Amino acid sequence: MKVMKMPWVNGLAAFGLVVAVTGGFAAVGSAQSISGQAYGAYVNTPVASFAQSPLAVLPYITGTDGDIATAQADALNVGGALSSDFLNSTTTGELGTADAGSQSTATVADINILNGLITATEVIANVVSTRTASGAWSNANGSSFEGLTVAGVPVTSGDGWVAPNTQMSLPGVGYVVLNEQIPSGDGVTSSGLTVNMIHVYLQSLTGGGCTVLGCLPGTLTDTGEIIVGSATSSVGP
Amino acid sequence: MWQKHKCSSVVPGLLVVALLAACTQDAMNPDRGTAGKPSFKKETGGGCPVKKFTGGGRIDPTNPNTNADFEDGASGFAALTGKVTFGFNVFLDNQCNVMKSEIQVVHHPSKTRWHVSVHGGVSDFGETVQATTFPSLSGRGWCIIVGPVTARVNGQQGQELVAMEACDNGEPGSQRPGLSSVGPDSFKWATQGHGDTDLTYLTGGNIQAH
Repeated sequence: MKVMKMPWVNGLAAFGLVVAVTGGFAAVGSAQSISGQAYGAYVNTPVASFAQSPLAVLPYITGTDGDIATAQADALNVGGALSSDFLNSTTTGELGTADAGSQSTATVADINILNGLITATEVIANVVSTRTASGAWSNANGSSFEGLTVAGVPVTSGDGWVAPNTQMSLPGVGYVVLNEQIPSGDGVTSSGLTVNMIHVYLQSLTGGGCTVLGCLPGTLTDTGEIIVGSATSSVGP
Repeated sequence: MWQKHKCSSVVPGLLVVALLAACTQDAMNPDRGTAGKPSFKKETGGGCPVKKFTGGGRIDPTNPNTNADFEDGASGFAALTGKVTFGFNVFLDNQCNVMKSEIQVVHHPSKTRWHVSVHGGVSDFGETVQATTFPSLSGRGWCIIVGPVTARVNGQQGQELVAMEACDNGEPGSQRPGLSSVGPDSFKWATQGHGDTDLTYLTGGNIQAH
């Protein structure tokens, strides 16, 4: 199959444009009864930062209506923190007379985090939130990792699923949470879910040390984070 | 390559075949107009019972398609296989003309992205686009077929005739955790040059007729 190549998209320029276009939507999004967003990557480390990108935020919806937002980038590279390509973010939502729903998807390919510490052929973050007369619920069905390796350890072979909130240690760096799921709502009139497929928490040891009186342990301090493949959806009254 | 679709004795099934086949060069009943713009004649009368469809999620068609929605007319064969993610929003008028729509579909194995945009009843390529909505063959909900219509491929790099079918068979549209493709909602993406996904149960996501 012929694959068409797009020209390289300058990450910073793309991010600036996306923020300019979607910032207004995000500001009013919290007041609506459905919301959704998806992005490919976010980097905040002591040596490199990059805001959520490519970011798709569901526009404000009123009455009985629906809408969609999409954002994409051919590649995203942030110093030695992250390289990736073919990033696609989509969020859709609808308000009906009998039900309401929101669904978001973020996909990222050819992922390399922290110079090969974590690699994956592709991740897909997929969430859905629905509210009907019988209740409200959310799920992350369809979220997956393809060819995921963490600190040299293969986690998935081919396209696979990892249990929600699986934590793995990254010695000297911190830890990573795979398929991180953050629910919200009461499950009756409201429900929401954020899934971060790869969430790296960077930590450093501060304080501690030994004196003639003995040794004191140091304290692990969060120094940054890297998120790859994030999707959020929610429905509310 | 375009896949042959099994015919059904039920009218909506025939519609699926006819409308999607309009994408092919050997369309069964195409009316391509004088400027070569793809269009088709609606084959049934009546109004447009459901005028808004929205959805998003993921399908995983195989060939033969073990995730096929046979109850709603799937053929069981897919040329476009592997991970496919999608999102769409379609608004119709009383005659089932597409007045406003955005459709984005991504085929991950080939890194191909299609995008359809219709505003004010006209696509980015100047086409008027028709749709058909009908009760799902399984009796579980409603389905929509949109197109054929021209989509942008990977941004501004190309274009291709496409058509979409989506069925809302209940809430939520994907009901089993993990990577099980059991729906009950289903989605099909048909393209002129890349083949089609067959009508495949959702692995994740949801489709809503509203």
